[in-house]
Amino acid sequence: MSRLENRGPNSVTDEPLISVEDVKVHFEKERSLFEMFSEPDVVKAVDGVSVDIGENDVLALVGESGCGKTTLGKTIIGLQKPSAGTISYRGRDIWETKAGNTDLSFADIRSSLQIIHQDPGSSLNPNRRIVETLSEPIRLTHPAITAGERRARIHSLLERVGMTPARDFASRYPHQLSGGEKQRVALARALLMNPDVILADEAISALDVSLRVEMMDLMLDLQEEFNTSFVFISHDLSNARYFAEHGDGRVGVMYLGNLVEVGPPEQLITDPQHPYTEVLRWATPNLALDATNASEPPMRKIDIPDPVNPPSGCRFHTRCPKAREACTQLQPELREVSDSHQVACFRSDPDHEYWESSELED
Amino acid sequence: MTTTSDQLHRPRDGVSDPILEVKNAKVTYDGGETYVLDNVTFSIERNEILGVVGESGSGKSMLASALLDAIPAPGHLSGEVLYHPDQNTTVDVLEFTDSELMEYRWAEVSMVFQGAMSSFNPTMKVGAHFKDTLKAHNRVVPEGLDFARELLSDLYLDPERVLDSYPHELSGGMQQRALIALSLLLEPEVLVMDEPTAALDLLMQRSILLLLEEIKEKYDVTMVFITHDLPLVASLADRMAVMYAFELVEAGPRDQIIGDSGHPYTRALLNSTPNIDAPLEDMQPIPGKSPAPVNVPAGCSYADRCPLATDTCRQDDPVFEDIGDGHIVACHHWQQATEEIELTFNQDEGGESVEGELR
Ligand SMILES: Nc1ncnc2c1ncn2[C@@H]1O[C@H](COP(=O)(O)OP(=O)(O)O)[C@@H](O)[C@H]1O
Ligand code: SF4
Ligand SMILES: [Mg+2]
Repeated sequence: MSRLENRGPNSVTDEPLISVEDVKVHFEKERSLFEMFSEPDVVKAVDGVSVDIGENDVLALVGESGCGKTTLGKTIIGLQKPSAGTISYRGRDIWETKAGNTDLSFADIRSSLQIIHQDPGSSLNPNRRIVETLSEPIRLTHPAITAGERRARIHSLLERVGMTPARDFASRYPHQLSGGEKQRVALARALLMNPDVILADEAISALDVSLRVEMMDLMLDLQEEFNTSFVFISHDLSNARYFAEHGDGRVGVMYLGNLVEVGPPEQLITDPQHPYTEVLRWATPNLALDATNASEPPMRKIDIPDPVNPPSGCRFHTRCPKAREACTQLQPELREVSDSHQVACFRSDPDHEYWESSELED
Repeated sequence: MTTTSDQLHRPRDGVSDPILEVKNAKVTYDGGETYVLDNVTFSIERNEILGVVGESGSGKSMLASALLDAIPAPGHLSGEVLYHPDQNTTVDVLEFTDSELMEYRWAEVSMVFQGAMSSFNPTMKVGAHFKDTLKAHNRVVPEGLDFARELLSDLYLDPERVLDSYPHELSGGMQQRALIALSLLLEPEVLVMDEPTAALDLLMQRSILLLLEEIKEKYDVTMVFITHDLPLVASLADRMAVMYAFELVEAGPRDQIIGDSGHPYTRALLNSTPNIDAPLEDMQPIPGKSPAPVNVPAGCSYADRCPLATDTCRQDDPVFEDIGDGHIVACHHWQQATEEIELTFNQDEGGESVEGELR
């Protein structure tokens, strides 16, 4: 079995599976010829995030486009190198491992951290039948088994992800599958690597609303069955809540490269502490009969600021309806407000100078 | 111009002043073998926001294209599409000459598609798209551009910056709003939008919906919003129409469709969507799959998946029944549906779901 032995020297202790410490990912924007000699623009896609992921855990990341969810997710699974900070897998720094400085191999770490993309089609080779696509990981992980055993495993896994008759689906090409079916193949392929963590990056966003619950249920069943942790990225708070609540995990709200609120889903939804979480809650449709006439959004501007020049102080202050002068100066840090519920807003601190400072004028 | 008097087959859908009427619209491919729109009859009330809901592949986009006589080749559209610029005038859209059709598609009934990326020419500045459209329709450019600026600011965009940008220099949400402004440039009476926000994050989607409501009030434009996302459009629409397998299965006022839907499919759709206020265990996926265009079954096309299906359903295609207040349903057992398929969201008394725990 290729799954990494869960018996590292520290595994008796409560060491997290993945530990992210003050990670930053800064991208330099490409410069045109005229700009060659000026300072390059830098996008601070992730700017100082710390978070742990345990065994059989769920972290659901929410936030609007461009807030850094994908970049953070890729950093967590070792696909993106951070510009600063560390990311460790079972206590070993992933990038030190790549440099050969730890007792694990980078290839093993990478194979135990898998990804499912938003666009399932793009990750499947259009010229190969499903059975061929799925054979590859098995050949890598179990070079010794026979073709017959391999096929049997593929069929049982396809059945497990709800693709029956498996024999029929196995012989199809990607274009003969619906979006949901392609996503199931992507999930099956990730599972063949016996991963510890799967990054599901907007993996259900392209599916019809009515198919999303089913796909989330499937991933959650597999979380239990295969003891896999999920980093589940979504721009939809109700999906994040569903996945994190059933997966017994947390929701993390991102805004312009920062985590601004992290907490248990029900708590975060019924009692949001960060003004931005309230905005996301406003944006989530509600079927209540009295909800027809949507209220005004609890924010001052529709568009997210340019990440090249993020606002000073609290990055949300340009849109926050509660912002005061203090918010333009200092950046709030994540602090514990109750058990495993953290928020980065001055309002969570009753003694903060925020309360004495003057309201912002637009 | 033609006038049609037969209002006989109009279902009693509560529409009193239709701006657009579609009668027995069928779209076929393969020389009539494959139906992608099957005998759809419905109308759009002047100045309403109509939400059309259905899953991917159910024929929603065909319906939108039918309104503009813009079915992609080699599809064939039959039936009638009637446009009423005012209460006493009726125009047969399928009889238009090419130039009439071109004017109709911008100045009368305009259309916005999903993905602004593919609707803008990436090598042209956004402003040039506005100018070209004005010139192509012989409008006075400076005046038209002033109106464009007004529309852009109505959509919370900085007009000068947007007009002077290439599409890729704008965020997805800005591009889509610029596209909506462009589609309103010639002051159409009707704006048809096919998944106009599907590629955007939820916050931007909801913001755009709010802006559309303001636009509608300001310019008196009738709107048709087509999407798979029932909860999303439910926050905007006055009236909703539900499509299943290339047919219309239910239509009515928004509150009736959400709170008192008669079609088992609509009820299943409502129960299958993650809802922020619903108890988590109450979300239930719809079992089975919708039929492919080639093998739409006889009888009700939902029978295979419907918990209430009987032999009658499998043999006879249900016709529309008026169940009150402009609410129409095509189901043999709509009464039973309202009694037995419980809606699991929005329950004050903490009602129990029929199917019990989901997980
Ligand atoms: N390879 C890259 N080069 C330059 N900028 C990037 C790159 N990847 C992401 N970005 C930028 O980083 C920010 C965060 O992006 P992303 O992580 O994709 O956000 P999200 O997934 O939340 O939409 C965005 O402004 C995006 O344009
Ligand atoms: S710190 Fe200030 S600007 Fe930031 S979220 Fe809190 S109140 Fe708003
Ligand atoms: Mg992303």
